[in-house]
Amino acid sequence: MIQYIIKRIGYILLVALILSLVLYLLYNCIPMDRAAMQLEGRKQQLMKDGIYEETYLALRKQMGLDEPLLKQYLYWMGFAPLNGKFNGILQGNFGYSWKYKTAAVELFAEPMKNTVFLNFFATVLALGITIPLGIFCAVKKGSGRDAAVQTFSIIGYSLPTFIIAIVFIWLFAVLLKIFPVSGMGTPNTDYTGVRAFLDKLYYMALPLLIMTFASLGGMTRYVRSSMIEALSMDCVRTARAKGLKERTVVYSHAFRNALVPIITLVIGWFFGIFSGSVVVEQMFGLNGIGRLYIEALSGKDYEVAMALQMFYVFLGLLGNLTIDLAYGLVDPRVRVNR
Amino acid sequence: MKNGRWRKKQDKKISSKKQNGHTMDETNEKKSNRKKGVFRWSQTWVDAVYRWLRRLFFGGSRALVSEVEEKEEKVQTGKKGKADKTDKESFGPTRQIIKSFFSRPRAVIALGILVSVFLLVLIGPIFSPLDVSYVEPTQQNVGPGMGMMRVPKGLSRDVKEISSYSRFSVGLSNGGKVYVWGDTESLNYSVSQIPTALKEKRAAFVAAGYDHAVAVTEDGKVYGWGQNAHGQYGAPPENNSSALLYTWAPKEVLDGFGNAQNVKSLVCGYQMTAIVTQTGEAYIWGNANSGAVNLTKLRRQIKEQSALGVGVKEIRFTAANAVALMEDGRVLTASDAFKYVRDERGELVDFEEYVEARGMRFVDVGTSSQTVALLSETGEVLVVGSSLNGEERVPTVASEEKIVQIEGGLRHYTALTDGGKVYSWGSDEWGQAEAPDIKNAAKIFVGPFQNYALSEKGKLVAKWGLNGYLMGTDGFGRSVWNRLLNGGKMTMTIGAIAVVISSFIGIAIGCLSGYFGGWVDLVLMRFTEIVSAIPFLPFAMILSVIVQTSGLGETTRIAMMMVILGLLSWTGLARLIRGQVLAEREKEFVTAAKAMGVREGKIAFKHILPNVISVIIVSMTLDFASCMLTESSLSYLGFGVRGRPTWGNMLDHAKSSIVIQNYWWQWVFPSLFLAVVTVCINMIGDALRDVMDPKSSAER
Repeated sequence: MIQYIIKRIGYILLVALILSLVLYLLYNCIPMDRAAMQLEGRKQQLMKDGIYEETYLALRKQMGLDEPLLKQYLYWMGFAPLNGKFNGILQGNFGYSWKYKTAAVELFAEPMKNTVFLNFFATVLALGITIPLGIFCAVKKGSGRDAAVQTFSIIGYSLPTFIIAIVFIWLFAVLLKIFPVSGMGTPNTDYTGVRAFLDKLYYMALPLLIMTFASLGGMTRYVRSSMIEALSMDCVRTARAKGLKERTVVYSHAFRNALVPIITLVIGWFFGIFSGSVVVEQMFGLNGIGRLYIEALSGKDYEVAMALQMFYVFLGLLGNLTIDLAYGLVDPRVRVNR
Repeated sequence: MKNGRWRKKQDKKISSKKQNGHTMDETNEKKSNRKKGVFRWSQTWVDAVYRWLRRLFFGGSRALVSEVEEKEEKVQTGKKGKADKTDKESFGPTRQIIKSFFSRPRAVIALGILVSVFLLVLIGPIFSPLDVSYVEPTQQNVGPGMGMMRVPKGLSRDVKEISSYSRFSVGLSNGGKVYVWGDTESLNYSVSQIPTALKEKRAAFVAAGYDHAVAVTEDGKVYGWGQNAHGQYGAPPENNSSALLYTWAPKEVLDGFGNAQNVKSLVCGYQMTAIVTQTGEAYIWGNANSGAVNLTKLRRQIKEQSALGVGVKEIRFTAANAVALMEDGRVLTASDAFKYVRDERGELVDFEEYVEARGMRFVDVGTSSQTVALLSETGEVLVVGSSLNGEERVPTVASEEKIVQIEGGLRHYTALTDGGKVYSWGSDEWGQAEAPDIKNAAKIFVGPFQNYALSEKGKLVAKWGLNGYLMGTDGFGRSVWNRLLNGGKMTMTIGAIAVVISSFIGIAIGCLSGYFGGWVDLVLMRFTEIVSAIPFLPFAMILSVIVQTSGLGETTRIAMMMVILGLLSWTGLARLIRGQVLAEREKEFVTAAKAMGVREGKIAFKHILPNVISVIIVSMTLDFASCMLTESSLSYLGFGVRGRPTWGNMLDHAKSSIVIQNYWWQWVFPSLFLAVVTVCINMIGDALRDVMDPKSSAER
């Protein structure tokens, strides 16, 4: 097992490195001059003093912009010393936000909290609904109710999140006026403790509902099909032949077997959903990672965007790793194969 | 797209159990048959090519089955006739699949809907082409519905006047009754309620502006209704500093003119109103900042003229300017926009000089949104201003006729001749320039996109132009229906080409990796894993930013969009095919083919690939839907196609709750189309998977 883990981690790190290089090269395709951007605010003053040109060149040199691209990548990652100092991602330097005039990493804390909050609750809610529903459909396979759920789940997973969001906003915020249309909290209040949490929950409720709803269709179908597969296993037939109660057969024998793919689903979903919440965050003006990313991209704040992109890549890989490890843990056959 | 990935994993599981139709016997039989077949079947080239294509797509065995069938059929029909043909039906796998697909009502309905939407967006844009630069501020947020030309019954036989500037029209009967029709209610104005004071009196003049309407009654009083926050009518509100921005109606107007006999004409423009009296005085008021930016200068010019004893004959408004036709036949434009005119040789010359040199005197004036058309005494039409919609292409009138009246819409002109004929020219997106062939017109009225021709007695004899928008208009005044058709074409094209690209890569990599195994498999699968580790949406966004900042042309950018989607979404299919090929490769027929010395590449692509074609078709169908969704999400976020409509970026404006609440047609129709199409595609894909894979459907 340990060998397997080490192998997977090593592999993931390698992929992360390759992807970071690809990303760095891609971002350098965008025409931008970081040195000029940094001097933007002081340009007038420097021009007046007549030292703009030399300051600019000095800054370029200091930032290593005149070096070859590959070397710049090494600086950026923190593999090679720039001006005698290792200062890259590995050292915790994720770049600088020109828009907010701070280190990029400081921008992440609050949005990260919101995004995790949103995604965690959405996943938990969705699982709470889809697992029982999927099992029900698998057990009652072919019945009218199953067919109805199947139809709805097709519709559910065919709709893009933003259409679901528009319809929900129209229904809950505009027509019924239950939830606010957008925002993060009631303005001009200084709630603390439970009150603040409830207020936040009130504003997050609609996005949460939308994200949960958006994931219902796909998840239900997945749970249903893995459960059907599990129900057709020999062990289930044996259990039935033994005369066990149907409930025991379904929940104890079949469900455990169906759990393996479901675990994959849950983990993958949780990590994958971070990029999925981009749309919802943007729609509701939630201060989350996705919105920060969009703003950084459209506001030409490319270092922040790059750092966030790395975050997404890393998260994706972490998800893969977790799935692999969970698989290895739950299903010994996987370990042997590799 | 997220869902798509999970689905594919699931596909892999289910379809790996799939049985294949090939057996060794068949392969051998096929081989021997093929040799004989060269002589027997290649009687005509067409036949040969057709069979070759069939083999390519369906594999040799299926072609063989249908050939055998055909033979049997011939023999049977020859022997027994058609009677018991249905008795003995043997199906090839393809026909079996098609038959069981069509036995599923839901799938068939989905297919029907999909095909009709597909045909709609394919054929629709031919009849309703897209004008990318089209923007019409006066037609913003018009609700769906027809009736912009629906002249009320009481009015149509007895018209005195019809006036329209934006989306609603007002009419006046000879009996002095005022009518309103068209899009009379909107978020910003409401003109359906005619003031009660006006209802009780007989009106003599009516005119409609952008969001207000004005009437002059027979006792000379001026009434307005609709929006008046920008000085459209009435006295300025007190204690409102922003009211000072606008020019309000002068005291003379508020007091009334004593008798309608004293008024010569009443005209409205974009939030502007003008009244010309019989004595040649002009009163112009309203939101001059946008409706008549040249107002100060024009007033000065009019004053100079009236000092010389020349009064005003008519006032007309373009989108942003006012022009005055004087009693001596000269025209005051007071704006640089109308400074030049094209002479006979097509060169721009100074308007004043042009007119002076020819001694032209004008009797009528019409305005479109950017140009002014002037009718000279001799019946000649002169168009001044930037004619972007072909306003200056004045049609030639028959020699015995002479133009006597000219009226302008927003983008077209209509002229009436003394022979009772009408001519329209200019842009024709709503058929407003398609004048009917009539001979009894005595008077014309022209709205923004509508034309009405009246007989001598005031009976409506013809109307042509825009009657309404089937699905309303968006925030820029563009027809939602038109954008829906063209956007659908774009969305579907992007989805389809992206799927083709991704399938091509997926098939190539999956086949190679699965068939050759070993280090090829290792390298390709690692590569696949790296690509699939890329978070889709963020990565597509950065790629699209790169494409957008690269300064490429619009078409290239859209093509790049397809490539991006294709490049990022092939991994699932590649894995799926690899798994299938791995299973197929161990089957006997492959061993047989190898033993016969068939080349490796041929085995991989001609013997194994046809056996996984069902997986590919299902996956392509489902990927088509997910590619469309991805494109829509990207466009919706502003990182997809820009400048041209797609179903995604049409929903762009639906971010604000105002739009969601008030302009439902702007988001309901695009969402509905997108949702229906993706649901249908997914239903078809699901059904296809079930019918192509009998085992999985039995399992379900």
